[in-house]
Amino acid sequence: MTTSPLHKPKPAIAVALSVLLPGLGQVYSGDRRRGFAILISVEMLVWLKLALHALASNAQPTGSIFVSAVGVAGWIATIANLVTYLWSIWDAGRSAGISDAPMGRTWDYVLAVMLLCVPQGIIVGVHLTWAGLARSYPSQTRVLTQIGSALVHPDMATQKSVERTAVGRYTVGPGASQPTSQQRDRTMPRLTISPSTAAKGDKLVLVGTGFPAGAQGTLTLLGTDERPVGEFGVDSAGRFVASFVNPRGIPGDYFMEARVRVLTGGWRVSDTLAESARLMVQTVILALIGTAISLVFALPLSFLGARNLMSGAPALRVLYGLTRGVFTILRSVEVLIIAVMAVAVFGIGSAAGVIAIAIHGIGALGKLYSESIESIEHGPIEAIRATGANELQVVVYGVVPQVVPQYIAFTLYRWDINVRMATVIGLVGGGGIGSQLIQYMNLLQWPQAATALWLIAGVVMAMDYASAVIREKVI
Amino acid sequence: MLRIEELTKVYPNGTRALNGVSLTIPTGQFVAVIGLSGSGKSTLLRCINRLVEPTSGRVFLDDIEVTAATDLRCIRRRIGMIFQHFNLVKRSTVLTNVLSGRLGYTSPVASLFHVFGTQDYADARASLARVGLSEKESQRADTLSGGQQQRVGIARALMQKPDVILADEPVASLDPATAHSVLDHLEQMNKRDGMTVLCNLHFLSIARRYADRVIALKAGQIVFDGSPEEIDDSRFKQIYGEDAVQVEIA
Repeated sequence: MTTSPLHKPKPAIAVALSVLLPGLGQVYSGDRRRGFAILISVEMLVWLKLALHALASNAQPTGSIFVSAVGVAGWIATIANLVTYLWSIWDAGRSAGISDAPMGRTWDYVLAVMLLCVPQGIIVGVHLTWAGLARSYPSQTRVLTQIGSALVHPDMATQKSVERTAVGRYTVGPGASQPTSQQRDRTMPRLTISPSTAAKGDKLVLVGTGFPAGAQGTLTLLGTDERPVGEFGVDSAGRFVASFVNPRGIPGDYFMEARVRVLTGGWRVSDTLAESARLMVQTVILALIGTAISLVFALPLSFLGARNLMSGAPALRVLYGLTRGVFTILRSVEVLIIAVMAVAVFGIGSAAGVIAIAIHGIGALGKLYSESIESIEHGPIEAIRATGANELQVVVYGVVPQVVPQYIAFTLYRWDINVRMATVIGLVGGGGIGSQLIQYMNLLQWPQAATALWLIAGVVMAMDYASAVIREKVI
Repeated sequence: MLRIEELTKVYPNGTRALNGVSLTIPTGQFVAVIGLSGSGKSTLLRCINRLVEPTSGRVFLDDIEVTAATDLRCIRRRIGMIFQHFNLVKRSTVLTNVLSGRLGYTSPVASLFHVFGTQDYADARASLARVGLSEKESQRADTLSGGQQQRVGIARALMQKPDVILADEPVASLDPATAHSVLDHLEQMNKRDGMTVLCNLHFLSIARRYADRVIALKAGQIVFDGSPEEIDDSRFKQIYGEDAVQVEIA
């Protein structure tokens, strides 16, 4: 950034700066007033153009002369904008060529102008992308709110509670109906339905006793879709009375269940969290197995892929090229694509995920391992070779001790990456928490999805930190 | 006895590092090889144990033709080598570095699992004691000072029980006092154990102090071969160029 006062501005740099931001090239060449004038006029044209286009696309009624005129004006502004921009670039090159202004603090001004324009760039960018979003998804705000609130209140804990239920019976059509006598204990909840036989459309009276006082409950007709058909409140004596219209016409016995949930105080881990934690552990192990498999293949192959070990005979060089080629091919196919293919072959589940991670990992680890062999000191190898050691001994005594720390570090790093990959692979059926997460999201169960997301974030962060600490220790 | 005949090395980039060098070195001689950087000293040493493959010419160790040998193991283990940058495996312990001097003798399979004989361990400890580093054996090599590392390098070479020692600028990275302690070890190996020493050196004063014979290389050719006392100012300028001035090192 330091320039001598006698340094002449270079037209190429001026042009490049003006391509980046109109007027910047002129500022660089020392003509700051001209530069700012160009910057402000081009910018005004940009805003005019954006405003006209926005007006044209939103104004009503569409097709009116006014709207058409605005549209045409918008296009004229766009063309003017483009012409001014191109002219300013040409002008930057020209003025840099003829300028004899001292260069002193020029770069400081250039930087200042660029920094000033950053917020504007952000505003324009946000304006453009959000305008697009608003048109495509009218319900975005609602969904965003749902996701946001789910992230704040993930389904991590539920209040401890017990359920109390009682079942009553009634009969439709002819049939000898025995009185219900399933519960004799007076402290247990009990539900009586009268009359005990009914036709379709008859009103039934339900009387419950022995329920927890003050509790709220739901009524469900068992056997079919089992959706609640009514609600009730229990009085202080543990009793409630509710009525219900029989929807059933087919003769037979029907059972009505009254269910209350009573909080017993305290919290417990929610089912979602417990299940997600189990799947998270599964994901970490899945990534570990995948990493281990790729390690088994990449470790021996990495010696064949190290140029400094394979530079001898032509056959060795061919082997080196082949190994590196295999690494590159395995690495260049995105792990998600391998996962989709593995799912097709092995079916949905963890096996497909492990294999996808392992295949991709051979390429990635192999390359890292080979490069760490290539970066070792040659001196010790020469010294070991000079003692009369054969090539295998040279590798064991000269190469391996030098690469062990990098190997450990790279393997940990890979495991860390693979945990993240495994979650994504889960989305396409590779098992683990990713599979669960995509189900939650498809069912719009945002609080559950949020639980899984927070869990993934937490575990990835913890592994990131742990592997960094271990890396630091071993190198 | 070490015999070199018309040794020439041309590197793939076209550099002619050695150009028809012929030498005979009787057993037990301490030979200093001097010359400017790039004069071919290092290449000469590395051609003797074939760390560098000569382009043409022949090298004999006693009656074995090194340049024609297919199994280098038996030849290399008779030739110990010491390096300017010590070339220890930094992350291995001192003892492992010393033991690796034995690799030319041990069974390859056993050594893959770091299995050495009890005699090897005894020899390694004796070598370390000889260079005064007994208490350092379980330290990592890179925790040692330069002089100590070079002494580990010497201990590693001793493990080979060699007939010849090739020392490639063994003291160029060391301070003068440390340099003398390292060279004293080399002198002892030469005088007491009767090893032939071929040592590349930068400083003529050191060569005068330790060597029986000085060989000067210039552009891959021998320009002087004689006793250190014969090198007067005109010889010196012939070796190092007209502008060179002799520098004494303590």
